[in-house]
Amino acid sequence: MEIKIKTPLPHGGRLVDRVVRNPELGKKMAKGCPAYDIKPNLYNGMPVRNVYREIMSICYGFFSPVEGSMTQAEVERVLKERRLLNNWIFPYPLVFDISEEDYKKLGVSVGDRLLLRLKGQPFAVLDIEEIYEIDPQEIATRTFGTPENNPEVVRRAFDTKHPGYVIYLSLNRIVLAGKYTIINEPRLRPPFDRFWYPPAKSREEFKRRGWTTVINHQTRNVPHVGHEALLRNAAFTGDTKPCDGILVNCIVGAKRLGDYPDEAIVEAHEMVNLAGYVKPQRHMVTMLLWDMRYGNPLESLLHGIVRQNMGCTHHMFGRDHAAVGDYYDSYATQILWEKGIPSFGFPAPPNAVEYGLLIRPQNMAEFWYCPHCQEVTYSENCNHLDEIQRFSGSFIRSLLSEGLFPPPVIMRPEVYKVVVKWWKQFGYPFNNRKYLTEREKELEVDLAPMDI
Amino acid sequence: MGYSLAVILDKKRLEGIKGTGLESKVTDMFGGAIQALIMDVPDEPYAKRILAEFPGARIDARNFLEEVPVAFKKAVYEEIRRLKSMGPEVLDAVFEKMAEIKELAAQEQEYLPPPEVD
Repeated sequence: MEIKIKTPLPHGGRLVDRVVRNPELGKKMAKGCPAYDIKPNLYNGMPVRNVYREIMSICYGFFSPVEGSMTQAEVERVLKERRLLNNWIFPYPLVFDISEEDYKKLGVSVGDRLLLRLKGQPFAVLDIEEIYEIDPQEIATRTFGTPENNPEVVRRAFDTKHPGYVIYLSLNRIVLAGKYTIINEPRLRPPFDRFWYPPAKSREEFKRRGWTTVINHQTRNVPHVGHEALLRNAAFTGDTKPCDGILVNCIVGAKRLGDYPDEAIVEAHEMVNLAGYVKPQRHMVTMLLWDMRYGNPLESLLHGIVRQNMGCTHHMFGRDHAAVGDYYDSYATQILWEKGIPSFGFPAPPNAVEYGLLIRPQNMAEFWYCPHCQEVTYSENCNHLDEIQRFSGSFIRSLLSEGLFPPPVIMRPEVYKVVVKWWKQFGYPFNNRKYLTEREKELEVDLAPMDI
Repeated sequence: MGYSLAVILDKKRLEGIKGTGLESKVTDMFGGAIQALIMDVPDEPYAKRILAEFPGARIDARNFLEEVPVAFKKAVYEEIRRLKSMGPEVLDAVFEKMAEIKELAAQEQEYLPPPEVD
């Protein structure tokens, strides 16, 4: 019996790297190509997605083995079986969509190379393999499932209050399918630059730190003490000893109104180790560029893929993982990783099917505060059910809005100060319309001028 | 089905309810780190109306109404204090000021003054 756990291979066997690092070669590749300026997808006037984030995550290997905008057959297979055409599992359709008007203006056809500009500068090229039309409503519904078709976990029909559903509704009808290549490598802007660890780099960093077993903590939040208890306790799993490292991978991208700004999220997590609550030697904060779909079990599948690609051996999953509202069962993610969800193409868990994942799930119940135990405790241990107090992100946000300093039993004072730092910067502690709109103009990257 | 609404009491608000008879209704949260008045909010018509008036409001995992505007919570506190009650008449009185609250809530969406911390 093998007792020691090894770093897993990337999903699909190898890391995708579609970044040209020689600018002269990049210029050559784009010479003479028609150009298109990337724009965000809007819903009710609000930016809900920017395809540049998907291009970054694909080309730097986070989404390996995906290499580009999916063909119609691939989208169909993903929606039916959650598998790519090469059989590897993948949860979401990823497409490069443009309006009919832009399509007519561009006049491109199959076999053409399209130059994609970002913030006015050359960014990437798309080699067009197929052009087809989609019905965004149909894609949105099939992406997330329905109570009728996915009764194991979908509790109610998705609607326009679900931020992931509206991402798919906001898609343009024309899809250009084909591989992306980044030809002008963007520079991440502060504070994101120090959290940018594409899979090849994170794997190198794990090696440098001497980490073999690494558990990932998924987040789109500023951490409260309950989150911290989850990540510290889940990390007791490992092989012959607890995990060597805890990787925090923050989702950075368009989010819903009322979430925390991404700048506060990454720095607040970093503060957990700077303030010594988890040793920095054991804790590493990173980011993923992704406009979150809030797809609970499906999102957990994407998280498994990304974190396996980054070199993690384990992934912690809590209640309502990557969820919003009550569209899915609260434990839908844990159902997927415990026994599978046949209607989503998983008769067994994602790491027990062919072409599946190698990362190990660590399904956790809940951490709550118990005044009787006088500590934050695990729900499967503490039996003072009449006394316990659940953590609630919404409650903490309400507390913050009222200008109250949250007690340390809820949020570390150092973490709160990070929230206030960005609150001062943006004039608001959470994402409001102004922040989300401005953010989509500035994005997380800058690009050097490139004359083609 | 009913929900709860927690009105957090800082020192000033605690002082404000002294002598109203509401002191005995103060609930300790998180081992006494937070004091609050916790009101019952029946679904019909109260919770439904609150959720409809404020698109950002939601029911959290504890069945509490949260992420309502600060102006709304402030108005609830003021009415609790004025009426010396935590019954439905408090919300009836708050609903009468809804236009004013919504105006303040819209301003809140643009700017909230950051607290001074060391």
